[in-house]
Amino acid sequence: MSAPSSPLTTTAPPAPPPQPPTPASLLRLFMGVALVGIGGGLPAHTRRALNTRGWMTDAEFAEAFTLAQLTPGPNAVNLAAMIGARLSGQAGALLAVVGILTPGLIVMLAVTAFTLGVPGGLPGPLQSALRGAAAAALGVMLTAALPVLKVTAGIRGGPVLAGATFLALAWLHLDLLLVLAGVLTVGLVVHRPRSGE
Amino acid sequence: MTADPLDIFLTFTRLGLVSFGGANLPEIERVLVDQKHWITPQVLANGFALGQVMPGPNMLAMTHYGFAAGGWPGALAATLGFYGPTALLSALAILAWQRLSRWRWLPAVRSALLPFGAGVMLAGVLVLTRGSLHSWTGVLIAAAAFALLQGTRVNAAVVVIGAAALGALIGL
Repeated sequence: MSAPSSPLTTTAPPAPPPQPPTPASLLRLFMGVALVGIGGGLPAHTRRALNTRGWMTDAEFAEAFTLAQLTPGPNAVNLAAMIGARLSGQAGALLAVVGILTPGLIVMLAVTAFTLGVPGGLPGPLQSALRGAAAAALGVMLTAALPVLKVTAGIRGGPVLAGATFLALAWLHLDLLLVLAGVLTVGLVVHRPRSGE
Repeated sequence: MTADPLDIFLTFTRLGLVSFGGANLPEIERVLVDQKHWITPQVLANGFALGQVMPGPNMLAMTHYGFAAGGWPGALAATLGFYGPTALLSALAILAWQRLSRWRWLPAVRSALLPFGAGVMLAGVLVLTRGSLHSWTGVLIAAAAFALLQGTRVNAAVVVIGAAALGALIGL
C-alpha cells in the first residue's frame, strides 16, 4: 500500500508497514474505540482507528457500516462483529465484540449494582441527578433520530410508513414483529425492483 | 423478584433480534415493563440515561435491566442474550455480503426498512418522554440538551453528566 523501504511506524525494526490485524490487536483497537466513544460516535471512531492502521479502505468501511444498520441489534456492536469477522475470522469477530463491550460493561455493572442495590431506593439527590440525566438522554435520542427521519422523508412512502409504524407501536402497542412484517411488505411492494432498473 | 436467567436470556435475545437501527425502546417497554414486570418505567429511563455516559455502545442499558430483573446472573444473561446472537448474525451477514450486493431486491429491502427504523425511533422518544419527563424543568433540560447537541460539537456524555449535576442541584 505504501513505500516498503521506510515504514512510517516507529516500532520494532522489522515491522512491515500495515501489520495484519490479529484477534488480539482487534481486541485492543475496539477497547480503545469504546473508551474514546463515551457519548456516542462509535462508528466515526472505529473508522479513524482502522484508517490509521491501514486495515480497511473507506469503501470497505462504508459497506460494513451500511450493513451494520440493516442487521438487527446495536449498530456499533454489529459493526465490530463485521469488521472482526472480515479482518480476522471467527476469533476476530468474537474479540472485537468483547473489546467494544468490556470497558462499558465493567462501569455499568458497578454503577448498576450500586444504584439498584441500595435498600430502600436511592438517596434523594442521586435520584434527582438520574432524572436530570434521563431528561438529557431524551435530547440525545432526538438528535440521533433526526438524521434517520431526514433520510426517511426522502424515501417514496417513507413518511407514511414511519408514521404508521409509530402509531402501531406507540398507540396501539402492537407486537413489533407484526408491525415489521406489515411495514416491510408494503415497503417492498412500493420499492419492488423493476426490469431495466 | 429474581427472574430465571434462561428466561432473561431468551427474552433479551428476542429484544436484540427485533432492534433495528439501535435501540428498540417501545418493544423493551412492552415486554420488560408491561408483560414481565421486571423493570419500572423509572428504571427504564434511568438505565437508558446511564447507558449514555458509559464507554461504548449506549444500549449497555440492557445490562442494567438484566440486573434489575435477576441480579448478577440476570445482568450476564441479558448482556449475552442481547449482544451475542445479533453480533453472530452480523458477522455472518458481512461474509455473505458479496453475494447479497448483487441481489436486485436489496435496495427495496433498504428502502422498506428505513421508515420502519424511523417509526421505531419516534416511538422510542415517546417511551422515554413518559419515563423521564415528570416536570417542566425536565422538559427544559431535554430541550436544552437537544439544542446544545444540535448547535455545538459538545460531547453527548458531557451534556448528560451536566444535566445530572443540574438535576441534583435543583432537586428535580
